Amino acid sequence: MESNKNSLMKIISILSLTSVMALLVMGCRNEPQRLPYLGNIEVNGSDTIYHTVPDIALINQDSQSFRISSLGNKVILADFFFTSCPSICPKVQKQMLRLYDRYKDDDRVMMISHTIDQRNDSVEVLKRYAHNLEVDIHKWTFVTGQKDSIFDLADQYFVSVVEDPLAAKGFDHSGRIILVDKNRRVRGFCEGTDPESVTAFFDTVDKLLKEEYQ
Amino acid sequence: MPQISSLILLLLAGSLSFIGCERHPYSQGEIIYKYNCANCHMDDGSGLAKLIPSLDKSRLTLSEPAKLVCLIRNGLPVNKLTGQEMPPNTILNEVELTNLINYLGSKYALKPQTVQAPEVKKMLAGCQTH
Repeated sequence: MESNKNSLMKIISILSLTSVMALLVMGCRNEPQRLPYLGNIEVNGSDTIYHTVPDIALINQDSQSFRISSLGNKVILADFFFTSCPSICPKVQKQMLRLYDRYKDDDRVMMISHTIDQRNDSVEVLKRYAHNLEVDIHKWTFVTGQKDSIFDLADQYFVSVVEDPLAAKGFDHSGRIILVDKNRRVRGFCEGTDPESVTAFFDTVDKLLKEEYQ
Repeated sequence: MPQISSLILLLLAGSLSFIGCERHPYSQGEIIYKYNCANCHMDDGSGLAKLIPSLDKSRLTLSEPAKLVCLIRNGLPVNKLTGQEMPPNTILNEVELTNLINYLGSKYALKPQTVQAPEVKKMLAGCQTH
C-alpha cells in the first residue's frame, strides 16, 4: 500500500515537473506566430520562393488599367463574383461589406472583386454595381479582364471558377475571400458564404497587419 | 426526496414547453424562404445595400398577399438603376407559396394577413405575366 502511494507521488511529481518545463519553454518563445504561406513553397539553395499571385493587367470600373502593384504595397482582400449571380455572390458580397466596414479607414487594406462574367459585366455595369453597393471605389476596386487570364488568376488565388451550363447563369464558383500580403503572397482565406468563418477571419487579417506593419 | 425529484421534473417540463414556444409559427415557410429567397435577400431579410431590397423596408407589398404571390411567381425585370433583376420562381407550388407568404407576412408585414392554399391558387390565376 505504502509503496503504491510512493510511486503515485513520483508519477504526479514527474508530471507536474514536465508541465512546468513545457510552460517555461513556451513562455520563452516571444516571437508571435506568423500566418502560413499558402501554396507551393520552393527551396532553392538558401532562397525560399513562395507562391505569389501574378500582377497581371486588368481593367477597373473606370475603364482604367489596373494591376495589384498599382495599389502600392497593401494587404489585399479579394473575391470572384458576377453582378447577375443569383446563387452565392450576394451573400459573399454582404460579408465583403462587413470587411469593408471594418477596414474602410485603414489605408493598409485594399479590396478587389473580380468579375468572372466578362460578357455581361462591362466596366459600366461594374461601376453601377459599386455605386449601388455604396462603397468607395478607391478602397474597393471592381475589375474585369481577359476571360482566360481572370480564370487563371482565380486559380492562383485558390478559388475554383468553372463555366457550367447546368449552374445558375452558367458559372460555378467558390465564395472564398482571400487574404494576400504586401508581396502578393496568399496568407489566408475564409468562406464568404459563412458569416462565422468571416468573423474568425477578422483575427487573421489583424494578425497579418501586425506582421506586415510592425 | 420525492419532492425534489418532482420539482426537477416540473422544471424540465417547463423549460421544454418554453423551448417549444420559441419556434417560429411558420417554420415550413422559413425553410422555404431559406432555400428560395435567402441567397439574395439574406437570412435576416436585410438585402444588399441598394442592389437587393431589404424586406423590412418593403412592408407595403408584403402586407398584400395577392401582390406578393405574383411578385414571387413572376419576379421583376432588370432594374435600370441597379442592374439587378428578381428572378421568377416557377418551382414553388401553391401550398409552398402559402407557407412562404404566411411566414413573410408574420415576420415583416405591418398588418399580417394569413392566407390558405385555395386562395393562393386563385391569386396565382389572377397574376398578369409580363
